[in-house]
Amino acid sequence: MSAIIPVAELGELVAGWIGAGKLVAAPVAVGDRLLYQQLASADQAVFDARRRPANSIKEFLFPRHEPLFRYRIEGRGIELSEVAPEEREQIVIGAKPCDAAALPILDLVFNWDFEDGFYTARRARTTVISLACAAEDEACFCTSVGLGPEDEAGSDAMLFDLGDGRFAVRAVTEKGKALFGERQAEPPAPRPGPEPKFDAARVGRYLASHFESPLWKELTLACLGCGACAYTCPTCHCFDMVDEGNAAGGVRVKNWDSCQFPLFTLHASGHNPRSVQPQRQRQRLFHKFVTYPQKFNAVLCTGCGNCERNCPAGLGVLAVLKAIDGEAMNQDAKEPVQA
Amino acid sequence: MTEPGAMTQRLRETCRRLLEEGKVQVVIGWGGAGRLASPTQAESPAPLSFPTQAEPPAPLSGAAGGAGRLACPTQAEPHAPLSGTPAPRPVFITRAEDAEKLEWNDRCFANLTVYLTRKEVKALGKAAVVVKGCDERSLVVLEKESQIERGSLHAIGMVCEGVGTPREAKCAGCEVRVPRFADETIGEAEGAAASATAVASRLDGLMAKSPAERWAFWTAEFARCVKCYACRQVCPLCYCERCIADKNRPVAIETSASARGNFAWHITRAFHLAARCIGCGECSRACPAGIPLGLLNQSLAQATEEDFGYRPGMDPKAEPVFGNWSPADKEDFIR
Amino acid sequence: MTAQFEPKIVAYVCNWCTYLGADLAGTNRLEYPPNVRILRLPCTGRIDFNLIVKAFEMGADAVLVSGCHPGDCHYTAGNYHARRRWMLFRRLLDTLGIETERVHFAWISAAEGKKWQQVIGEITEKTRQMGPYAAYQELSEAAK
Repeated sequence: MSAIIPVAELGELVAGWIGAGKLVAAPVAVGDRLLYQQLASADQAVFDARRRPANSIKEFLFPRHEPLFRYRIEGRGIELSEVAPEEREQIVIGAKPCDAAALPILDLVFNWDFEDGFYTARRARTTVISLACAAEDEACFCTSVGLGPEDEAGSDAMLFDLGDGRFAVRAVTEKGKALFGERQAEPPAPRPGPEPKFDAARVGRYLASHFESPLWKELTLACLGCGACAYTCPTCHCFDMVDEGNAAGGVRVKNWDSCQFPLFTLHASGHNPRSVQPQRQRQRLFHKFVTYPQKFNAVLCTGCGNCERNCPAGLGVLAVLKAIDGEAMNQDAKEPVQA
Repeated sequence: MTEPGAMTQRLRETCRRLLEEGKVQVVIGWGGAGRLASPTQAESPAPLSFPTQAEPPAPLSGAAGGAGRLACPTQAEPHAPLSGTPAPRPVFITRAEDAEKLEWNDRCFANLTVYLTRKEVKALGKAAVVVKGCDERSLVVLEKESQIERGSLHAIGMVCEGVGTPREAKCAGCEVRVPRFADETIGEAEGAAASATAVASRLDGLMAKSPAERWAFWTAEFARCVKCYACRQVCPLCYCERCIADKNRPVAIETSASARGNFAWHITRAFHLAARCIGCGECSRACPAGIPLGLLNQSLAQATEEDFGYRPGMDPKAEPVFGNWSPADKEDFIR
Repeated sequence: MTAQFEPKIVAYVCNWCTYLGADLAGTNRLEYPPNVRILRLPCTGRIDFNLIVKAFEMGADAVLVSGCHPGDCHYTAGNYHARRRWMLFRRLLDTLGIETERVHFAWISAAEGKKWQQVIGEITEKTRQMGPYAAYQELSEAAK
C-alpha cells in the first residue's frame, strides 16, 4: 500500500473508523476558526497544515468536565457507584505536532506520585496522528522549547501535506503501524520552523534568580485573570474537584481550573497567597519554565502560541518570555555572565 | 477625517504631556504589535450534528468522491491566519519616554475601560484611558454605578471609523464615532458620519427561527464553552470582587462546563448585564471557542430600549432600569 | 392503562400575599391540583431569576412566580422591581429558546384563594397538555 494517501482515501479511513464505533477527533471549522472536536462524520474534518486549532487535544485525554463517581445519601449511609468508563478506542487525527508533543509531557505528572487512572486509561486507548506544519506565525515558538514543525514526540503517526491534496504518512509507534500498516513515506525536505524567539538558557538563568522583580508587575498589568490561556494550552493540567448534588446525593466531578483565576489559591481561612495578578502570572511562568523542568526534566510548554492568540489582551507566555529575555540581555550586558 | 498615523502622533504627544506634567500617573492605551483573541468574522456554521458545509471548500485535487470531501486547501491558495489577529495590545505607560509605544489604528479592538476597576491598575495612581466612542459608554455606566470617579479620570477620546477588516458588526450604524464626554478628543469630527445603513443583524436571523431551533443553536454553541470566563473578565461591567459563579457557600452557579452548567452561567452573565451592557462586543471577541455571546446581550439591549426607552451609557443623566420602577411598566404577561 | 403524565409545578410565592392566598384556598376547602410545590419567600422582589432556572434544572415542568398586586407590596416596592426584572428575563429566555409558556407570573393577594385555585388549575392543565419539559431535563440527565 502506498505511503502517499490522497485526501479522499484519508476521508474513507476516517469514515471507516467512525463506522467501526471508534471515537474520532479532528480539527473542524467553526466560523473562521478551527477547533478540535469529536467528529459526527468524516467530512467535518479539516486538514490544513498551515493553520492550528484554537484549542488543544488534551480534552480528549483530560476532559474539561469528568464525572468520577456518583453517590447517594441514605440516612447516615453513603452509597458510591462507579461511572461507567469509556471503553471505545479513540483516534485524534490532524493534531499539530505541538499538541501531540504535550502528551509525553503530561504523562510525567499524571504518572508521578499517583497514577491518574482516568488519564492513563484514555491515553492507552488513544492514537494520535499528527499533521506536520507547513506554516507558522509570530505567535509560534516550538523551536524555542526544543520542538519543531515535524517533531514526532507524542505522535503515533505523522502526515505530511504534499501540497496537492495528498499526504505522506509515516508510522512512528506500534499504534501508528496498527492504523497504517507498514506505510513509511520519506518525509519531504524538513522545514526549519519558526526562528527562535528567545534564548531559553538565558531566560532560565534570569528566572532562577529573579523571583522578586518589578518586572512581574510591569509585564502583567494587561492580564485580566481569565482561563483562556490555561484552557487552550496543550500542557496546562490543573483541575478542581467539586461535588454536584443535593441532600439526596450527586456526582463528584473533576473540572479544569486556571491558576490565573483570582480565587485559584484562596484558602478556606480566607487568606490568598496569590492575591494579585503579578503573583499569578509569575507562578504560571515558573511552573512552566522552572518548577516542572526541575521536577520532570521537561518544559511545560510546547510553543504552540495558543495562549497568545486566545488571550483577550494578547499576553501569552511568549510575550512575557520575550520581555524577560530582553531584560536578561540588558542585565548580562551590564554584568556579563562568567562563562 | 484625520489619518490614523497623525492620530497616533497626537496620542503619543498627549500621553507625553500628561505624564510630564504629572496630570496622570499612567496612560492606558493600545500599543505594540502582537496577536489578540480576534473577533469571529464569519457565522458559525450549523450545530455539530450538521455534517456538511453548505459550500464545499475551494477546488481540492483528488478530494471528491469516496466518503465525501474533506477540507484540504492546497498550498497555492492564500490561507486564513492561524488564529488570533495581529493587533495592538493593552499597554500601561507610566514614563513619558514610553509614549512611543502607543498606537492607534482600526485594530484597536480592546475596550480598555475594563482596567479601571482592576486593583493592580488602580494602585498605579490617577489614570488616563484611551477610548473609542463605544468604550466610552462603559465610563458612563461605571460612574453611574459608583465604580469610578469620573472627575479623577482623564479620558482621551479617539474619533473612530470602525475596527476590524471587514468592519465589526457593532460598527455598522455606530452613533458614537466621536466620543462625547472625553476630556480631550483626538481626530477630526467631520467626515465621521454614522453609517445610515441598517444591517440585517444576526440577532434578527436568530429570532426568526422557532424557539426549538434557537434552543438547538445555543445547545450547540454552549457545547464548546469551557468556562474560561474570558467573557466575564474582559467585560468592563463585570467588576464584582467575587462573582456569583465563584461562590461556594452555597454554590449558586454550577462551575462545571457541562451543558447544564454552561446554560446556568450564560443565563446569569447575560442577565446580570441586562440594561447595563453597552454593546462593545468584547465578550464575543474574547471567547476562545467563538461563541457569539454578544447576541444574548444584544437581545436584552433591544428589549431594554423597547420596554423602557433606555440605552445604557448614552445619557449620563438617564436613570438606570434596575433599581428603579414605574407604574407604567407593562404587565400584560402577568395574570 | 398508562399512567397520566403528572406535571411538576414549582411556585415561588411571596409570604405576605400569595402564600396566604394559597392558605385561604386551603381553609376554604377549595380543591386545586396537588402537582404544585409551593416555595415561600419574603417577597417577589427577592426572587432571583436563577431560581426559575434551578426549578427547571431540578425537573420542574412549569414555574409560577406570584406575589402581591402592585401597590400592595409588604415592602412597598419589591414587586415593582420584580415586575421589571421579569419583563427583561422573559426576553432572555425567549432568545435562548427556553419555553416561555412554561413560566407564569401572577398577582394573587391574601384574599384571592379562588384566584389561586384557578391559576393553579389552569397551569396544571396547560402543562399536562404540553408534556414534560424534556429539553431541560435532558441537560440535567446528562449532568447526573
